[in-house]
Parts: sequence; C-alpha cells; structure tokens
Amino acid sequence: MDEVLETAVDAGHILLESGAEIFRVEETMKRISRYFGVDEEHKEFFVLANGLFASGKTEKGRYAKVLQSRVTSARLSKVVAINQLSRQIEQGKYTLPEVRQELERIKNIPEPPKMLQILASAFGSAAFSVMFGGDFQDALVSFIAGFFLYIFVLNVAAPHMSKISGNLIGGMFVTVICLVCQWLGLGHSLSLMIIGGIISLVPGLSFTNGIRDIADGDYISGAVRLLDAIIVFVSIAVGVGIVFTVYRHIWGGAAL
Amino acid sequence: MTLLVHFIAAAVGTVAFALIFDVPPKYYALCAVIGGGGFLLIDVLMGLGLSQTEATFIGTMFVALASRVSAVWRKCPVTVFLIAGIIPLVPGGRVYWTAYYLVMRDMSQAFENGFLAIRVAIAIVLGIVLVLEIPNRLFHWKTTGKRN
Repeated sequence: MDEVLETAVDAGHILLESGAEIFRVEETMKRISRYFGVDEEHKEFFVLANGLFASGKTEKGRYAKVLQSRVTSARLSKVVAINQLSRQIEQGKYTLPEVRQELERIKNIPEPPKMLQILASAFGSAAFSVMFGGDFQDALVSFIAGFFLYIFVLNVAAPHMSKISGNLIGGMFVTVICLVCQWLGLGHSLSLMIIGGIISLVPGLSFTNGIRDIADGDYISGAVRLLDAIIVFVSIAVGVGIVFTVYRHIWGGAAL
Repeated sequence: MTLLVHFIAAAVGTVAFALIFDVPPKYYALCAVIGGGGFLLIDVLMGLGLSQTEATFIGTMFVALASRVSAVWRKCPVTVFLIAGIIPLVPGGRVYWTAYYLVMRDMSQAFENGFLAIRVAIAIVLGIVLVLEIPNRLFHWKTTGKRN
C-alpha cells in the first residue's frame, strides 16, 4: 500500500512540475491509488501550485509525504505521457512495478533541443510582429531580437535569475536590440518590433492555468498562478520602460 | 490577403509556442489551426465592427471549444491545445502600449490602453471558464470515456 501511494505521489509530482492544472494532478493521483486498491477513506491528497501533500493509512501504519515543487518550464509532453499512462492503468494494462518503470522513463523525457527552442522564439517573434501589423523589415528585427532573447533566457535568466529580474532584463534586452537595429536603419515601427520581440516572455502557461484552476474552484493555486502572470507582465513592461526612459534622457527620444 | 497573412502568422506563432511549451510534435498541426483560427476570427469580427473585448471573448470561446473537441478526439489533455492556442489572443500589445505611454507621460492614452488590456484579459477569462463549464458528456457523444 505504501508503494501505491508513493507511485501516485510520484505521478502527481511530475504533473505539477510540468505545468498541469491542480485538478488533473489530484485526479491522476486518486485514479492510480484507486485502481491499485487504496480506497477513498484511507487516503487524502492536497495539491497546491507549489507543493503537494499526501497522507494515508496502510497496513504497515501511516503514510505521509510533503513535496515542494516549482514549475520552471512547461513540459507538456510529460503531462501528455502521464495522462496516457493513467488511462492505460485503468484499462488494466499495467502492474505496479511497470508503472514505476514508466514513470521513471517519463521523468527523463528530454527537453526539445535548445537550438530548436531558440529558433521557435525567433520565428514566433517574427510572426507576432506581423500579426500586430508589422511589415517584413519589422518582422526581421523581431526575429533577431527573439533569437538573442531566447539565448539569454535559456543560458542566463532561467538558470540564474529570479522571475522578476529575468523578465525585466529580458524586456530591456529586446528594446536595446530593436533600438540598435532602428539606428542601423532596419525596420519601420519600433513598437511593432519590440512587441514581437518580447512575445516569448509572455506568461501563457501561468495565465491559462491560473484561469483554469480558479474555474475548478482551486482558488489559492489559481490566484498564485495569476499573480505570477501579472508579475511577469509588469516586469517585462518595466524593462521596456526603463530603456525608453534612459534613451529619452540621453538622446531626447526623437526616434520613439 | 491581409487575413490570410494574419492567419499564417498566428498559426506559426502558435506552433512556436507549442514547441517552447514542449507539446509533442504530433499535435502541432491542430495547435496551428486552433491558434490561427482564433486570431482570424477576431480579425473578422473586429472588421465587422465589434470591439476588441467582444471579439476576443468570442475568439476565446472558439479556441477553448476547439481545444476541448480536439482533446477528446486525440485523447489527450485539453491543456496541450489551449495554452498555445490562447497566446495570440493575449493582450501583449496593449500592455506594451500602456508602458510606452506611461514613459511618454501621456496618462490618458496609458489609462485607455491599460484598461483595454484588463478588459481583454477578463474577456479571455470568461471565455475559457464558460466553455470549460460545459458538461463533459456533451463532448463524448461517440466515445464513452472519462473526463479529459
């Protein structure tokens, strides 16, 4: 029984760290433990956006576990894999040791290669610049900004910086690149270049999951995630604003 | 022509985000259609005279609905489509203009853009919440399965 709860907690922890909604984390843990024979009154799970609590009564005594978690980056492929696993468990396709083995495999699913992520950010930036009305040159500058921004995000901001300073400096970084490009004569609308360039910083995961958690009645986690999204949004805007202000003071900001 | 360009750009943008969020590549095509379609719908509705808030509300409902149908069809979590598909609708541009006008000391423009950003965000919240409230069995008219 201990092992069943341990497995359920493991699955829940992976889900939580990969960016799943609270509802899904709880539901998956319940499903796994129910299928392997731990009935409702012998266990309790409590999941928050940044931690997970589990307790249960087993024949050996009591089981308890508290795990901290922090979403660093969205890993939806892991959410998909565990969702699949949990369906197949209910269809009776897995024994407990097999589930543990599969969880171990899912834990180690590699991230998309860094270069691919950087290119995605670059193409994404160019695309968003076009969506907001930018022309080819604006999109090209956004492409360059998005490219270098993500090199910075993957190598400096994500591993070494807090969310606030990472996004603030990210916003500054993009603005400086776009100003330099404009100074070199590339691009027409500075604003459209910047809007495209910063787009890969936009906190889509926390925003959408926060809404979903609140819709499910998980108010604490939903509020935490929405707050996270707001902080990131404000940090980016402040980063852009700082560069503009400095620029205005030094050069009078004619180009703005 | 502009509509087509916008649709393609939004589809490319959505797939770019799908990659950054580590969505499995087999779902990219659907993500592209959902994200591109949502943005296109907003474009068309605003062309017909709806405000950005109203158009975003309807666009969000489309994205959320399409995501749920796709999730049932492909038997995977709705998150896979919803998160990337919603990004083209997020009022990032308005947040930028708010910051821009704040720095330029043009308070009335800053307020206008800031409020619009908040209204659009609320429209997105409502759109998602309403569609997610639709009972699950309506999406399982073919299969009889568990909630996605």
